[in-house]
Amino acid sequence: MGRAVSEGWSDQPRPSKSVTNRWFDGTLFDVQLNHAQRELTVKIVYYGPGLSGKTTNLQMIHQRTQPDVRGRLLTVETHDDRTLFFDLLPVFFNTASGFKVKVKLFTVPGQVIHNATRRIVLQGADAVAFIADSRRSASPENNSYWKNLNENMRENGLDPAHVPIVIQFNKRDLPDTRSDAEIEEARKKGKEPVVGAIAIRGVGVLETLFAVLQSAYRSLDARAGLSKNIQLGEREFLTQVFQNIDTSGTELEKVFPPRVKAP
Amino acid sequence: MRQGESVLQRRISLVELLDGESFTEVVKGFVELYKVGIKVFDDKGGKLADIKVGNGDFCGYVFSFPEGRRRCTSTVGRVKDGPVALSHGARLPVLESTDAPKAKGVVTVPCFTGLRYIILPILWEGDTLGRVVFGPFFPEDLGDFPPPSLTEVSEGFDAANARKFVEKVRRAPESTIARVLLHFAQLLQTLLFAGQKMFLTSQLHIEATLEQNRELEERNKKLEEMNQKLKDLDRLKSAFLATVSHELRTPLTSIIGYSEMLAEGLAGPLNGEQVDYVRTIMDKGETLLKLISSILDISQIEAGKVRLTFEPMDPFELVNSSVSSLKPQSQKKGVTLEAKLPGRHFQSTGDRDRLRQVITNLLTNAVKFTPKGGTVRVLLTELTHQPDINAQGFRIIVEDSGVGIPADQFDKIFQSFYQVDSSSTREYGGAGIGLAIVKSFVEGHGGVVRVASEMNHGSRFTVILPAIPSAQTSVSITPPVTALQAPADDRF
Repeated sequence: MGRAVSEGWSDQPRPSKSVTNRWFDGTLFDVQLNHAQRELTVKIVYYGPGLSGKTTNLQMIHQRTQPDVRGRLLTVETHDDRTLFFDLLPVFFNTASGFKVKVKLFTVPGQVIHNATRRIVLQGADAVAFIADSRRSASPENNSYWKNLNENMRENGLDPAHVPIVIQFNKRDLPDTRSDAEIEEARKKGKEPVVGAIAIRGVGVLETLFAVLQSAYRSLDARAGLSKNIQLGEREFLTQVFQNIDTSGTELEKVFPPRVKAP
Repeated sequence: MRQGESVLQRRISLVELLDGESFTEVVKGFVELYKVGIKVFDDKGGKLADIKVGNGDFCGYVFSFPEGRRRCTSTVGRVKDGPVALSHGARLPVLESTDAPKAKGVVTVPCFTGLRYIILPILWEGDTLGRVVFGPFFPEDLGDFPPPSLTEVSEGFDAANARKFVEKVRRAPESTIARVLLHFAQLLQTLLFAGQKMFLTSQLHIEATLEQNRELEERNKKLEEMNQKLKDLDRLKSAFLATVSHELRTPLTSIIGYSEMLAEGLAGPLNGEQVDYVRTIMDKGETLLKLISSILDISQIEAGKVRLTFEPMDPFELVNSSVSSLKPQSQKKGVTLEAKLPGRHFQSTGDRDRLRQVITNLLTNAVKFTPKGGTVRVLLTELTHQPDINAQGFRIIVEDSGVGIPADQFDKIFQSFYQVDSSSTREYGGAGIGLAIVKSFVEGHGGVVRVASEMNHGSRFTVILPAIPSAQTSVSITPPVTALQAPADDRF
């Protein structure tokens, strides 16, 4: 579970890559980096099948985050607690160099019929957390939503090479869940970081957030040169977020000792 | 392909988050309760609400002096457009210690009259969307009133008048006013959250609907294109079949004709073996010609070129003549062919030649699929009401004791070129168009064909025909394979 965390920091500004300012389809990519307003918006989208625990992830993050660095958790759900449009949790901070950074965490509605909404919410995502149900019986659903994610990314002109994905295997506590060996097997099938979780108990939630933010940062840094252009290193980016989150009891506790317990 | 940027991707302004009218109502209620004026501006200086209370006479009096007007305008400008920061004369507000943590960014701006304003930035997700200006109020800690900065505006300034007017301005400790302002801030956050939820969801609802619409339109377009392609292919196939059949028939007629002349010895006598060979050429030629004729029939049906002509006819004669034409074939194969006719004679209307072809096709099939020693029966019923077509009519039933047809093939056998056994090693020959023709002709009469069968025991084809086809004397028949319906012409 802790793999994403143990990868460590890339604190040193890396040699600046030549930034190709175009997507594979020729359109310009839009890093939401506004120099005039000195503002960077990072959009993270929690994607996955219905009832896989996307909203639960956001609720857990909301609970553990200091109120002064986050907005309220906006959820729009149907009477039976299914996400209707999306959930939104904004987290914001100012960098040492005076840049305003907004991290917006979105979930998509999981029900099949809401594909159009899913596609809209996915627009302009900087990274995706794919929340999968670890039960063996859920494999076909996971696969079909994985396919759906790739289709909608393509439709939105998002190049999978530039928009990193982190996979969370949620519901590890349920019967019929995949074994560690099977999860390891799934990890080997692709390059995406994989995190195990029991979101309802907060297990693996922050680890997933860490992995997805780290991936988003690295991708944005490669494309927009965050460390060079706005003097925002990976360590600062992650610290600004996680120092305001109660990490107690998680893999992140050693790296970001909780300053205050969440209310 | 995308319809522009989603509302989720852009910054939302204060005006979009607050419902103008009801927000003004809320502010009015607040002002009436606490007797302090409230102005709300967005980050561009646009005014969202401006409710005054108590200070009108006093400020009007000050404003009546040119220097008072100048200083007043400057203060109002500072409050409205100046930075919400500790500069340009602003200072930290006087607060109760418990309020301090909640008062992030709040500043006090003193007026030259001795009154004060408190300004609160409207913070939303780390952004400053605008400001709330509270005041002016009369601070309790103010010493002498009016202060020199006010009296010096004019030699004619009447301090007593000013004191009288300022009585109507709310008098309170600054910390109390600040606390009221913080309450307002809390209320505002709730309104903003509700407003954001409403705004984003309604916008997203519209976006999702548009997106769905776009998707549907795209899909429709694709389907239409595919449909057109299929229609074109179908037309092409019919035209091809008609041409090919015609081109095949002409030389074949010559082959048969010349073989016949040879067999009859017109080119000199042949020995017995030679006559056998030539007769075989003739037989096979006839079979081929029949096949080509039926291919031509079906291609003309599919091209919509066949018209049925209805005239009075005798079903008894129809059945009898079909049976006698099949007699030689059945005898040769060793299959018994029986006909059963009703006691009472009756007449009907129809296309005699086409209906004969229907019965002949059914009988040919029956004989073909019935092994030696089997029986084929054809039965003509009396003229009665036929529920299947809801009309007076009759049935022609062709039964055999042959191999039968699997139930899941009942629909398919009526399609052109369909064979139950389509393998290259199949036992029974044919092109698979006899039943397609049967179906077309029967339906052209307003009748139906039914099939029942049991594997290895036999099949029964029932043709149900009306005594008089409805209304017309002739009708163009449509292809047996259900074609896609063209949409009706637009009415508007």
